[in-house]
Amino acid sequence: MDRRKAIQRTGQLAVTTLLMPSMLSLLQSCKKENRLDWQPEFLKEEEAKTISTLVDIILPRTETPGALDVKVDIFIDKVIAQTYDATEQEIIRAEIAAFNADCEKTFGNIFIDLNKTDQIKVLQEAETNSGKINPGVWGASVGEQKPIGFYRTMKSMAIWAYFTSEEIGKNVLSYDPVPGNYEPCKPLSEIGNRWSL
Amino acid sequence: MANFNIDAKKNMVYDAIVIGSGISGGWAAKELCEKGLKTLVLERGRIVEHVVDYPTMNLDPWDTELRGGLTPEEKEKHYKNIRSGWVDRETEHFWADDAANPYTETKPFLWLRGHQMGGKSLLWGKQTYRWSDLDFEANLKDGNGVDWPIRYKDMEPWYTYVEKFAGISGEALGLPQLPDSHFLPPMELNCVEKHVKERIEKEFKGRHMIIGRVAHLTQPHNGRGQCQNRNRCSRGCPYGAYFSSNAVTLPPANATGNLTIRPYSIVQSLIYDDKKEKVTGVRIIDSETNEAIEYHSKIVFVNASTLSTTQILMNSKSTRFENGLGNDSGELGHNLMDHTYRVGAMGKVDGFDDMYYKGRRPNGIYIPRYVNIDKDSKSDKFLRGFGFQGGGFRGGNPANIESFGADFKESILKPGPWEFFITGFAECLPYHDNQVTLNNNVLDKWGQPTLSIDAEFKANEKALNKQIQEDALEMLQKVGLKDVLGFDNEHPPGYGVHEMGTARMGRDPKTSVLNGFNQVHAAKNVFVTDGACMTSSSCVNPSLTYMALTARAANHAVSELKKLNL
Repeated sequence: MDRRKAIQRTGQLAVTTLLMPSMLSLLQSCKKENRLDWQPEFLKEEEAKTISTLVDIILPRTETPGALDVKVDIFIDKVIAQTYDATEQEIIRAEIAAFNADCEKTFGNIFIDLNKTDQIKVLQEAETNSGKINPGVWGASVGEQKPIGFYRTMKSMAIWAYFTSEEIGKNVLSYDPVPGNYEPCKPLSEIGNRWSL
Repeated sequence: MANFNIDAKKNMVYDAIVIGSGISGGWAAKELCEKGLKTLVLERGRIVEHVVDYPTMNLDPWDTELRGGLTPEEKEKHYKNIRSGWVDRETEHFWADDAANPYTETKPFLWLRGHQMGGKSLLWGKQTYRWSDLDFEANLKDGNGVDWPIRYKDMEPWYTYVEKFAGISGEALGLPQLPDSHFLPPMELNCVEKHVKERIEKEFKGRHMIIGRVAHLTQPHNGRGQCQNRNRCSRGCPYGAYFSSNAVTLPPANATGNLTIRPYSIVQSLIYDDKKEKVTGVRIIDSETNEAIEYHSKIVFVNASTLSTTQILMNSKSTRFENGLGNDSGELGHNLMDHTYRVGAMGKVDGFDDMYYKGRRPNGIYIPRYVNIDKDSKSDKFLRGFGFQGGGFRGGNPANIESFGADFKESILKPGPWEFFITGFAECLPYHDNQVTLNNNVLDKWGQPTLSIDAEFKANEKALNKQIQEDALEMLQKVGLKDVLGFDNEHPPGYGVHEMGTARMGRDPKTSVLNGFNQVHAAKNVFVTDGACMTSSSCVNPSLTYMALTARAANHAVSELKKLNL
């Protein structure tokens, strides 16, 4: 995680915000009635909406529940609030701000106020530009982990939160808390989805 | 199993005192109690009763608010332990409080501790292998360290003895460098592991790949249940399916009626009587009341874990032993060893996409040492050798897939690609300057001096690691894995959690702390049978050897007591 860079970008964002015509932002906030229906522990409303929108695009509702159905956004806020220390919280806040600053620079608006087409473009761009998470061996990654950036961090957290939610973990993935015997080679067709545990 | 006798108030005198209740302390307690000795086990932490005190053993991720996550306060409490990658919400209560129990890393060293009844026997990796004469003769043959005072033939009956009781599953191979144990049926390799095994054994003459030999029951054994393949071992196993003091050795010790276990008892030092020329007891500090108390006994087994045992001996100063009990040789605290860790290779395996497995087998594969075992396998780059652990599984990280949205979501509900990895464990030579010392400038919560650890891997270990990675890459590439990636995290010692050697056994009191029966040379009623006693490190996991050494030493102790020699 590149802390210095994150903080520099917060500085840039502050300047952008000051220069932004106040009328425009007022108009924008009237434009959409997408108020949060939950109370974040750490995130500010706009930050929370950013996370909600992001995880909804990554893991949308289909025949199976989506990220928002299993409260992935609420859990991510809780994780940031309760497991991050103050410095880490400052960094994630700065990263959300920087993410929105990039959206404004390229598409003229913060992420949640972009249309769906532009939001998807932002994510496609982020997929290309975000680093990859190193593989791990026994609880720790191997090699030197290069910064993965805000998008990959959020995507990773979203997938973790999704898989470990009770609805997905018990009812969508293959759930077997007490397997008994180990069956070393079993046709995937007899199991179905990935094991949740 | 309930109702341990924890009332150590009515009796201040015992036949035997055992310091620590981990893997070796639990065995000492069982053997001494079963042989009729009134035994006091002094445990630094709290009582952890089998099953009753495993609060997280059945929790699913969604059952805890942060799904395994730790708060900043918890991370701070475990600021050293956490570097291991093992500490999570489900096991946090079994890891020692680093803040209350500081140590100083003169050079980087990870010292993992479990301060509760059962110690790290609740948390260990359960890999159990016999050592061979390749190990016991190594120091003598290449002139590093001192010669072991024992050989495989001394250990063989005791390996068998502890294996029959503990329950070790595995496959017999008949290899001289990795003698077979008395086995329960082996766990099974999955289809990718079987495939890789066939290819490695075909491509590389003299190399073998087997399922890990482990202290997990594959069938009911001595009243304990068999492994249910939940892989939640470190939370405590409700079936008692893996070896821990809590499930395996302390209950029968307790059943004899001879056991008293006193929790919250930090041993400050051993009491040496100059006139009797032996140790007469121990001084403890009650960690809750800060009260100083003395207990007395005919013999003392020091099984506090390698470095804590060493710390206690160093802190046991008397007119006779100005530099720590049994330290006539000056070797106490020296020759600290560990195995190298997290160096190897991984890759993807094609062709098994329609296959999966059922169950979370708490075990992987093992590739026994194949270098420097005979003339043909001799390396001119390093002494000693290494073995590999590893495994095959369906993994991948869905977050790395460059996609998102409905199709992406459906795709990641299916298992990821097959992956296979091997990671080496190399032997570390005993170096006199890899050492721990008492640090009077940093005191723990109870005002006791702490340890400074000054140890590093040197040229031979680095050469072994280089070979590990080269061999790992070569093996995985040659057997046809894709995207093969080598890795070496260059971990300092400690990460292997096989720290050992700081009160070594030897033939000569001038160069060693303990004799061939783990007795302190100059205070023969003191026995050290945890990792501190080890004269060399082998490349093989050491816990089974600690168990066998302990049972052997306890047998000797009782025999000597009967002869009135102690």
